[in-house]
Amino acid sequence: MSQELTDAIVELNRDEAVAAVERRAKGGEDPLVILGECRRGMAVVGERFQKGDYFLAELMLSAEIFKAGVAILQPYLARSRSAESKGKVLLATLKGDIHDLGKNILATLLQSHGFEVHDMGVDIPPSRVVEEAREIKPDFVGFSALITTAFAGMKEAADMLQEDGLRHNMKLIIGGGVTTPTTRDYVGADFQTLDAMEGVTYCLRTVRGE
Amino acid sequence: MAKESMTAIERTRAAIRLEKPDRVPLVPFLSAEPAALLAGFTTAQVSNDARMSQSAFLKVFDDYGGWDSAYGSPITPAQMQAANIYPMKVRIPGRDLPDGYMFQLVEEEIMKPEDYDKICEMGFDSFYYEDYLWRINCFPREDMTRLIEEVLINWDPWCKELEARGVEPFIMAHEFHPFFKLSLMRSVVRFTEDLYYNPGPVERTMKRMTDELIPKQIEICKALGVNNILLVDERGSGFYYPLPVFERFWWPYAQEIIEAFWSEGITTVFHLDTCWDKNLPYFKRLPKGSTVMELDSTTDIFLAKDVLRDHLCIHGDVPASLLSLGKPEEVEAYCRRLIDGVGAGGGFVLGTGCATPPDCKPENFRAMLETGRTCGLYRS
Repeated sequence: MSQELTDAIVELNRDEAVAAVERRAKGGEDPLVILGECRRGMAVVGERFQKGDYFLAELMLSAEIFKAGVAILQPYLARSRSAESKGKVLLATLKGDIHDLGKNILATLLQSHGFEVHDMGVDIPPSRVVEEAREIKPDFVGFSALITTAFAGMKEAADMLQEDGLRHNMKLIIGGGVTTPTTRDYVGADFQTLDAMEGVTYCLRTVRGE
Repeated sequence: MAKESMTAIERTRAAIRLEKPDRVPLVPFLSAEPAALLAGFTTAQVSNDARMSQSAFLKVFDDYGGWDSAYGSPITPAQMQAANIYPMKVRIPGRDLPDGYMFQLVEEEIMKPEDYDKICEMGFDSFYYEDYLWRINCFPREDMTRLIEEVLINWDPWCKELEARGVEPFIMAHEFHPFFKLSLMRSVVRFTEDLYYNPGPVERTMKRMTDELIPKQIEICKALGVNNILLVDERGSGFYYPLPVFERFWWPYAQEIIEAFWSEGITTVFHLDTCWDKNLPYFKRLPKGSTVMELDSTTDIFLAKDVLRDHLCIHGDVPASLLSLGKPEEVEAYCRRLIDGVGAGGGFVLGTGCATPPDCKPENFRAMLETGRTCGLYRS
C-alpha cells in the first residue's frame, strides 16, 4: 500500500498518477490494491469538494485521471477477482434532451466510489429505461436534464417503473441545471441535486443505511 | 394610486440606467422554440425558417398583451453558425431531431490543442470562417452567403414590427466571453485540462480574441446604431472554477471588454448562467451602470441585489422549472418576491431565469407578465 498514487490523484498530478498506475500494474501488483488507492484519492477529492476547497473543475480533472487509471488497469482487472460493488446505478438522459456533461461526471465519480454504473446515454425513451431496469435490477436510477422538456420523460419513466413493480426496490435520483425540488416532486424522485458529488454522497449514505 | 407614465422604451432604458421607472420593466427571454410552442407553431418550422420564428415571437407578444423589450431574435441555428454565434455542432428539429424537440448544441472536442496557436496566428474570425466552421457546419458551404444575407434582410422588417408595437430589441449585437467560447470549442473537460496543465496557449489565445473582439463589436454597435450588446458566459463562475482560476483567466478579460464597451457608451447585457454567488463582489469593480447582470435563478439574485445595489442593473430570474411545472399562483408569488426584493429602488428588469423553457405553461407565462404589470408599479 502506497500513499504516492493517492496523493497524485488528490493533487491532480495527472502524469504522475497515470505513470504510477502503469508501473505498478506492469510490475505485477494486485490491480485491486491499485484501484483501491485510486478510489481513496477520489474520496479525498470528494471531501475537499464538499468542504468548498475543490470545485467542479477539480472533480472533472480527478475523474479524468481516474478514468485513465482504470483504462490501464482494465486488462489486469479482467484477469483478477472482481472488486466488490457498492451497488448498481442506472443512468440516462431521457428523450428530448441530448446533453450528458453532468451525467458523465456523475458516472465516473460513482465508479470511483465503488458503484457499478450502467450508463444508457442520451435521448432515451422511458420504455427502454424500464427494460434495462428489469434486466440489471439497479439499486439507483439517475436521470439528468439540461432542458425542461426532459421532465415529462422523467415522470413517465418513474411512473412506468412504479407500474412495473420495480420502483420500491430502488432510489430514484434526478439532477442537472434546470432541476429543482419542484421537479423532484413532479417526477416522484427520492433525491434531486445540481451537484454531482452530492449525488454520490446520497448513494453512499443510502447503501450504508443512513 | 400608482399608474404607468412611461413608454416601454423609456421604462426599460431607465431601469438599465439604475433609475426607478414607473414600473418594473418586463423582458422575458423568448427564443424561437418556446415562442413556437406558445404560438401553436412547431419547433421544426421555426428552427428552419427565420421568418416563421419572427412570426411566432410576434404572435406570442400580441396574444399575451406585450411586454417592454423584445429579447429573442429571429435567427435559425444555421444562421447562428454562419454569424459566428454558436461555435458548436447543432442538432435541428425537423432535420436531425424529431419535431417538437428543442434545437440542441452538441459538446465535443472540435478544437484541438494545436488550434490555440492557429487562432493566435490567424485571428479568431479568420480561423472560424476559414477552418473551424467547416468542422461543425450544419449547412453546405454554398449556403453561407445566403444565410448571412437573410439575417440582414430579415432585420429591418423585424425592427419595424417591434417599432409598431412600441418596443425595441433588448439586445442586437451578440458575443461570448472568449473563455466560454473556447470552453465550448474544446469541450469543458479538455478546456479545464488546458487551464490547469498547459495554460500558456489559453492565455495567449484569450488575449488575442479579446483584442479582436473589442473593436469588432464596437464597430458593429456603431453600424447598427445601438448602445448595448449581449455578452454570454455560462462557464466561468464559482460553480465550475475556484477564484484563482477566475481571477487569472476570466475576470481580467471580462473587465477589459466591458470597460472598453462602456468607454464608447455601450452597455453590456451580461448573460450569466450557473451560480455566480462567490464572484459577485468582483462585478462591483465595473463602472457604475455599465452592465446588466442577467441571472438564471441559480445565482442568489437577492444576494446580487445586496452586493450590486445602485451599481449594476439586475435582470431575472423566474426559474425555467417553475414556468414549466409550477402553478400560476406560484409564479405570481415568485415574481412578487423579485419585485419587492430586487426591484426596490429601481435598477431591475423582471425576466426569465436564462430563458423561457420550451414547455412553459401558457398560464404561467401570462402570470409572470400580469404580475409584473400589476404589482411592479413604483410609487413615486
